[in-house]
Amino acid sequence: MTTVILPQFEGTEINIALYENVKNSKEIRAKIADLPYALIDAKAIISGEQLLSAIHRALIEVNYNKMRTKSLHSECLLCLSPTSNIGDAFKKFGILDNSTSIIAVHIGAKKEEINYDFIQGTCIEFTDENLGRLADKDYISKIYKLEKTFRPETNSDLSRAVVDAILLRGL
Amino acid sequence: MSQEIIDTVTQYCTKNIPVTLISQGAEAAIFTTPVHPYLQNTNEDEVYIIKYRPSKKYRHPTINKALTKHRTLSESRILAKLFQIKGIKVPKLIACDPYNGYIWLEFLGEDLPNGFGFSNLKNYLWMNATDSYHDNVKNTLVKVGEQIGLLHWNDYCHGDLTSSNIVLVKTESGGTWEPHLIDFGLSSISNLVEDKGVDLYVLERAIISTHSSFSDKYNEWILEGYSNIYKKHGKAGNQRLTEVLARFADVRMRGRKRSMIG
Ligand SMILES: Nc1ncnc2c1ncn2[C@@H]1O[C@H](COP(=O)(O)O)[C@@H](O)[C@H]1O
Repeated sequence: MTTVILPQFEGTEINIALYENVKNSKEIRAKIADLPYALIDAKAIISGEQLLSAIHRALIEVNYNKMRTKSLHSECLLCLSPTSNIGDAFKKFGILDNSTSIIAVHIGAKKEEINYDFIQGTCIEFTDENLGRLADKDYISKIYKLEKTFRPETNSDLSRAVVDAILLRGL
Repeated sequence: MSQEIIDTVTQYCTKNIPVTLISQGAEAAIFTTPVHPYLQNTNEDEVYIIKYRPSKKYRHPTINKALTKHRTLSESRILAKLFQIKGIKVPKLIACDPYNGYIWLEFLGEDLPNGFGFSNLKNYLWMNATDSYHDNVKNTLVKVGEQIGLLHWNDYCHGDLTSSNIVLVKTESGGTWEPHLIDFGLSSISNLVEDKGVDLYVLERAIISTHSSFSDKYNEWILEGYSNIYKKHGKAGNQRLTEVLARFADVRMRGRKRSMIG
């Protein structure tokens, strides 16, 4: 589990865990409404920068503007999305019955209070290398509606274009 | 005025993000900070730009808010669009809070040797004034022209194309400079030859007024790079180039008349 504290919001602890070879996505989905986490399909995430820019935006929105969804966790999924429809955001970034890699995010509690044991899979380090390996780049380009002529040469170029879309959603 | 702005930004960023004011224009104040807003483990000597648009006392608060949001967003949108165009080099957007008037950007450039200051085009040309016909200078100015050409070919206009708004970034091998365009606060999407002609004229004036002894050569090299981009597009490119250059000449002529009268 990686603990992140954004310098602008030091009272809010963010805990992120990355799992691969997940076996029980269907089970998790059945009780997802009761789970106080943002559960994200890792195939939609190319970099830590992508996820953290969305979490940063969620905290900016909630602190300076307004909360548009029911919790910080759903706000986080909304902020990942290039559109402002929360249902759409869950469909594109949330997990499906057959998801095999999952990013679990918890915002606002201490590391010791968080337990991700309900995920049956291999917990691996939350690094750009692992994320890049699990990402589906065509899927990402498609859901973010990047320019057809835009051909990112590196993961970091793709990440940059995706971050731009995250920062500008709905504005 | 300035202290008030510094206080506002300091409070917004919190004590964890120390800010240093590096420039204050009519429209925005520019700060640097060594702290990334959301990435850890970044390079120790990395800095980031925070561009803040303060609200103006003489404007109505509601209009203020709307204008700040509009301008902050417009600049961010243009930066995002330009990044997806192959070959165009602009600073990376890191974060954006249009409600409060903040944009976080990648810091570009470095300090030039021998006290010549920050590596914008203006200072770079000063630095090379004694050796101004060097191949490196030509190479840099042709690339400057190519950046502007790419911008215009894709129907964007800069709106404030001075030699301080062109920042040179050292290539990885260290031998040459890669020009990047900054400050898109007055930029727009435009297919009008007039806007393009004005961009070219503004830069030409900037070069003439600060580097007059070599300005003919400098401007010629910039136009060479500019034309390279258009000429890659065959007949249509050549035609559009002719139109822009004709309008550029026209804008220059009007400028001259104005200065003769004024
Ligand atoms: N991304 C950047 N990298 C480095 N310096 C910058 C950047 N953006 C702005 N500046 C500096 O701040 C000044 C004013 O910025 P602006 O208001 O955007 O024209 C510029 O002339 C630069 O010296």
